[in-house]
Amino acid sequence: MAVTLRGRLATSQFGAMEANSSRELEARNYLEKHRIMELLTYLASALLFFRPEKPREYLISILERLRTAKVSGVAFPFFMDNSNIAAMFQMLDSSNKGSISFIQYKEALKTLGLCTADEVLKDDGHGITCEKFMCEVNKKTQEIWSAF
Amino acid sequence: MDATTAPHRIPPEMPQYGEANHVFELMQNMLEQLLIQQPEDPIPFMIEHLQRDNDYVPKIVILGPPASGKTTIAMWLRKHLNSNLLSVESLMAKEYSSLAADARTRYQKFQTLPDMLLVRLVQERLREEDCVRRGWILDGIPETREQALLIQTLGVSPRHVIVLSAPDTVLIERNLGKRIDPQTGEIYHTTFDWPPESEIQNRLIAPAGISEGETARRLLEYHRNIVRILPSYPKIVKVITADQPCVDVFYQALTYVQTIHRSNAPFTPRVLLCGPVGSGKSLQAALLAEKYGLVNVCCGQLLKEAMADKSKYGEMIRPFFEKETAGPSYIIMKVLRQLLDQQDCAERGWVLHGFPRDRDQACLMDSMGYKPNRVFFLNVPFDSIIERLTLRRTDPVTGERSHLMYKPPPTMEIQARLLQSPKDSEEQIRLRTELFYRNSAELQEFYGQAITLNGDQDPYTVFEYIESGIINPLPKKVP
Repeated sequence: MAVTLRGRLATSQFGAMEANSSRELEARNYLEKHRIMELLTYLASALLFFRPEKPREYLISILERLRTAKVSGVAFPFFMDNSNIAAMFQMLDSSNKGSISFIQYKEALKTLGLCTADEVLKDDGHGITCEKFMCEVNKKTQEIWSAF
Repeated sequence: MDATTAPHRIPPEMPQYGEANHVFELMQNMLEQLLIQQPEDPIPFMIEHLQRDNDYVPKIVILGPPASGKTTIAMWLRKHLNSNLLSVESLMAKEYSSLAADARTRYQKFQTLPDMLLVRLVQERLREEDCVRRGWILDGIPETREQALLIQTLGVSPRHVIVLSAPDTVLIERNLGKRIDPQTGEIYHTTFDWPPESEIQNRLIAPAGISEGETARRLLEYHRNIVRILPSYPKIVKVITADQPCVDVFYQALTYVQTIHRSNAPFTPRVLLCGPVGSGKSLQAALLAEKYGLVNVCCGQLLKEAMADKSKYGEMIRPFFEKETAGPSYIIMKVLRQLLDQQDCAERGWVLHGFPRDRDQACLMDSMGYKPNRVFFLNVPFDSIIERLTLRRTDPVTGERSHLMYKPPPTMEIQARLLQSPKDSEEQIRLRTELFYRNSAELQEFYGQAITLNGDQDPYTVFEYIESGIINPLPKKVP
C-alpha cells in the first residue's frame, strides 16, 4: 500500500507543476539524488505498520535517529532484519528447492521498495540462492540509506 | 502465483489509521515543501517542518475590483482567524527593510511598483515567523498575471482564493461614499457602513481617487487583469458576489476558507445508512453498490440467507425470527463478521444498513473493529413513510413487487390479484418507526460525524447528496 501511496504522491506532485521542463528536471534530479521517495515510502510504511498514537512525534523520532546514525555511523534503523529476509525467501521458495527465479527476485525487490520498475538487474541464469538474496537486499538497503 | 505476485492482503487497521490521521496529506505537504525549497540537507529540514505543524494554517488570497469590500473582508477574516494581513500599503510601510524603503521611493516617483520588487517584498514578509506560524491573507495581490506567475515560481501558493464580484455601476456608486478613518485604517461608507460613534464620524476623510472617472478607469484595468490571473489558480477559486450586505459576504468567505479541499488520498468507503423503515436505505445501498462497486450488506437479508442455508447461526436465529422479535446482538454480529471479514469486502468497501439499531449494537460493532467512515441518517416524515409503505403490493403469481403510486402494476387484471404484506399495515409501520426514533438520538450521538439528509425526495436526488457526503472530506472541527 505504501508503494501505491508513493505512486500517487509522485503523479500528483508532477501533475501540479506547470513550470517549464528545466525546473521539472531539476526537481526530479533532486528527488533522485537524495532518495526522497524511498525515504518517504519508508516513513509512510513505518507509520502504517506501527500506527503510533502521535504520528508527527513518531516521524520526528525516526528522522532524529537517522540524523544521529548518519553522523555517528551507528547502525541504521532497518525496517527488516536478517530473520525477516530469510522468512521472505522461504515464502517465495515454496517448493524448497533452495533458489528462486529471477522474476521472483525482481518482484520481491520491487515490493520492498528497493528497486524501481525499470532498473536492469543482471540475470546470471542460475537462480538466486538464499545467501545471495540476503546479501543483495542488505547491499541495496545500505546503498539507499547512505544517501541520507 | 507465488507470494510476490498475489494481491497484497492489507489488514483493515492500516487504511483506517491512514484516513483518521490524514497520513497521505501529511506526506504530500512534506514532499511539496521539499520540492519547493530543495534543501541541501533534507533530514533536518523535514524534522523542522514536522515540528512546525503548519499544514492547515490559513493561506488566502482575496481579489476583487475597487470598492468591492476586499480590505474590509480581509480585515475581518484576519481578526477571526488570528492571522496576518498583507497589502501593498502595509508591505511598503514596513520598517527595517531595505526593500520596503526602495519600494517607497519608487512609489513616490512613479506611482506604481515594479512587479519583481513587490513579489520580493511579499516573499520577505512571508518568511517571517508570525506568517509561518499563523498563516497569511493577501489583500489585492497579485494585481497582474506577471505578479501571479512570479509569486508561484517563488513557491508561494494559497489554499483558498476568493474573488469578489459586483456590477460596475454598483461599484462606481459605492466608491463615491467611501470614507477612511485615518487612525485605525478602517473603511466606512456614508450609506452602508456609517460608524455609530460621533468622534469617529468627525475624523473620517474621503480618500483620493474616488471620483467616477477614476473608479471607472481602475475598473477597466482590473477587468483586464483578473481574467488572466484566475487560470493560475484552478480548483481553489470561489467567486462571491459583493452586491450584498458585508456580513453576508463575510460569512460566505469564512465558510469557504474553512473547508478542506479533496485530496488524492486512497479512500475505501465504509458507509452506514440509518433511518426509519421506508426511508429508502435499501434502495440507496443498492445504487451505491452498483455505482462504486461496494459490497451491499443488508442485515435483514443476511439473516434470512443464514436461516435458509440452515447454518448454525441460522438455526440460532430462527426461533427469534418466528416470534418476530429481534435476535440477540452477538449472533447477528457473528453473521455480519463472516461477510465483512472477507477479502473483497475489506478491499472494495461496504454499505451497511439495518444494523446497528441502538447504541449497544453500535458499541459492539465498534469494539470488533468495524468502524464506518461515513454515516448517514435519512430523515423522512411519518406521512411519507406511510405513503411509501402502505401502498406496496406483491403479485402472488409472478412474485413481482409494485407500488400503487410510484410503480403501478401494468394491467387491471394483475392489480385485482395483488396482495399486501401484513408487515406493511399502518399499525406495524407505526410500531417500527417509533422503535427507531427511540434509539436514533443515541445512535446519532455515538456516531459523532454523521450526516443527516432529507430522505423525502426522489431517490436520485438523495443519492446525489449521499455521493457528495462520501466524496467530500468530513468537515474539520474548528477549535
